[in-house]
Amino acid sequence: MRILIVEDDATLAGQIADNLKDAGYTYDVAPDGEEGHFLGDTEPYDAVILDLGLPIMDGASVLKKWRADGREMPVLILTARDSWTDKVEGLDAGADDYLAKPFVVEELLARLRALIRRSAGQTSPVLEVGPVRLDTRNSRVSVDGAPIKLTAQEFKLLSYLMHHDGKVISRTELTEHIYDQDFDKDSNTIEVFVNRIRKKLGVPVIQTVRGLGYRLEWGGEPA
Amino acid sequence: MTQSGGDIKTVSKDKQPGAIAQFRASLAGRLLVSAILWSSVALVIGGIVLSFAFRSYVLSDVDKRLEILLDTLVGISEVSPEGEFRFNQPLADQRFLAPYSGWYWQVSEAGQEPKRSRSLWDFALDPGHESRNFSLRYSITAGPDGQTLRQAEHDIILPEAERVFHYQVATDMAEVQAAIDRFNWLLFSALALILITVTLALVLQVSYGLRPLRRIKRDLTDVRTGRSARLKSADDVRMPEDLRPLVDEINGLIDQNDKLLDRARTHVGNLAHALKTPLSIIQNEVDGKGDKGSELIARQTKDIRVHVDHHLKRARIAGGGTGPGLEVKARVEKLVKAVKVIAGDKALQTSVTCPDDLSFDGEKQDFDELLGNIIENAAKWAVTKLTIKAIRLEEGLRRPMLEIRVEDDGPGVPEEEREALFNRGTRLDEQVPGTGLGLAIVRDIADMYGGSVSLSTAGLGGLAVTILLPAK
Repeated sequence: MRILIVEDDATLAGQIADNLKDAGYTYDVAPDGEEGHFLGDTEPYDAVILDLGLPIMDGASVLKKWRADGREMPVLILTARDSWTDKVEGLDAGADDYLAKPFVVEELLARLRALIRRSAGQTSPVLEVGPVRLDTRNSRVSVDGAPIKLTAQEFKLLSYLMHHDGKVISRTELTEHIYDQDFDKDSNTIEVFVNRIRKKLGVPVIQTVRGLGYRLEWGGEPA
Repeated sequence: MTQSGGDIKTVSKDKQPGAIAQFRASLAGRLLVSAILWSSVALVIGGIVLSFAFRSYVLSDVDKRLEILLDTLVGISEVSPEGEFRFNQPLADQRFLAPYSGWYWQVSEAGQEPKRSRSLWDFALDPGHESRNFSLRYSITAGPDGQTLRQAEHDIILPEAERVFHYQVATDMAEVQAAIDRFNWLLFSALALILITVTLALVLQVSYGLRPLRRIKRDLTDVRTGRSARLKSADDVRMPEDLRPLVDEINGLIDQNDKLLDRARTHVGNLAHALKTPLSIIQNEVDGKGDKGSELIARQTKDIRVHVDHHLKRARIAGGGTGPGLEVKARVEKLVKAVKVIAGDKALQTSVTCPDDLSFDGEKQDFDELLGNIIENAAKWAVTKLTIKAIRLEEGLRRPMLEIRVEDDGPGVPEEEREALFNRGTRLDEQVPGTGLGLAIVRDIADMYGGSVSLSTAGLGGLAVTILLPAK
């Protein structure tokens, strides 16, 4: 899952970034509205954490521009302006959630998880495909109740596939969503990760769709 | 105009000393009392002068007639060769024949029986022979039948005989006095009528003249009670030119005041907002670290946050009615939508019942803060249902009010704990996130608008919050 943080306070942005990293997210940080808007416009993010009081271009304008251009990723507004009028206006501008400063990072992470899940069409915090379970609240994966140990990159990949189960996901899309913008993207590594995950899970839930990518699907007991 | 005149009369009729003193101290009172005083004095002096002039005129007329009569009497007098006094022609005036007619003459000589007009009948005028006086004299003297007489007299030496005769002519004053009295009565009734008319005209004039001032006063009351933002009289073309600068100045003052308030509010807001990002950083830095120092910092940061929130929210309350008003239904629906988004996964069934034309007379920010907190609170505790009903109240109220009732199907709050919810920082359950400032600020806002907030048990089983606010 790849998150864009648009926050002008470097310390706060750093704190959020550290926590996102620990929770298994990939992230990019933009220190002002202009860069934030550009990144959100060109990169495929799974969610955006957007401060309203930004230099160059304020958060509400950034959000309105994205929405006007048809960018639909979930946006969480993070702001010191916590009056109800600000909240209504923020949500009217197209935000999906609103968190007032000062806040605790746990709360931010919980809201972010729910936001990503809802926008992927998942209603429960626990994602299940056949015997495979992924609990978004604590980042645990299990098969038939037995916990599975995954590396950070493997977890990112599986989590993305589980959020979009049933859909065909291309290698490029996977690359874009599990690496930040500075990473030297090589789609071959994706294939390596997928094979490792298949081995660790031991159940055939990741289908290869030739020439298109992967699809997470449980077709019943393995033959 | 007539109505306003009535107001003033009611005040002056009021027998309470306080009301009278108040009226005399008022501008209308001063103008009226002084104008009435001066016109009364002028009218009384004029009346006295006129009455005196009339009396002198009437008297001098009587005196002239008496003098002519006296001359006539002297002219027809002669002394016969036998030494007897007589008239050489008759004085053929009926008035001197009828007894007590009011017109008399008498010619007398010392030591002789005086010659008298028949009208004197058995009465004789006092001839006053003690002193000689050949000049014409007027006097008031007693006459027959209790009459008061105006008398002209003088002594004459008739040329035929070297003898002194005393001539007296008199007339009853009753008739003259009656004429004077009649004139005075007419004069003073006319003056009284003039005074009443002038007073009425003054009342009307003062009330008409002071009407723009009363208008300004009414407008100021409207501004103070929040019914209007500025003095409406500024736009009135009938406002007198000499008062227009005053109205404009007052409006300028109101604007200036608004601007200062706005600036103060912005400063408080900026300060509070500027504090929030560092607070977030500190809070996140110490969060989860178990050592004593971190815990202390965490606790203090939380306290700072509570204070910042409280004062920021208080500073944001504008609490004044303005021109356009706020459409309740659309706003409540937006707030419900916002609350639902913030509530996240919780599946809430909400219903909003509100007349389309219902408007709140006040600031959007205040309405949002008030309703937002209440709806959020209801959404937090509700199991599945949340209803909002708004109606307009008008009967028997000084100004139109609206009532909004927010109900949830949550656990509710026992009656004895409800009042505590309004205290700053009180939260009945620390498990559900929130600063506990919500309901305190709600009550502050409602108070600022002269409204109210009350808690009861909802029909759905949970808590019902009923808010009264001014309607547009």
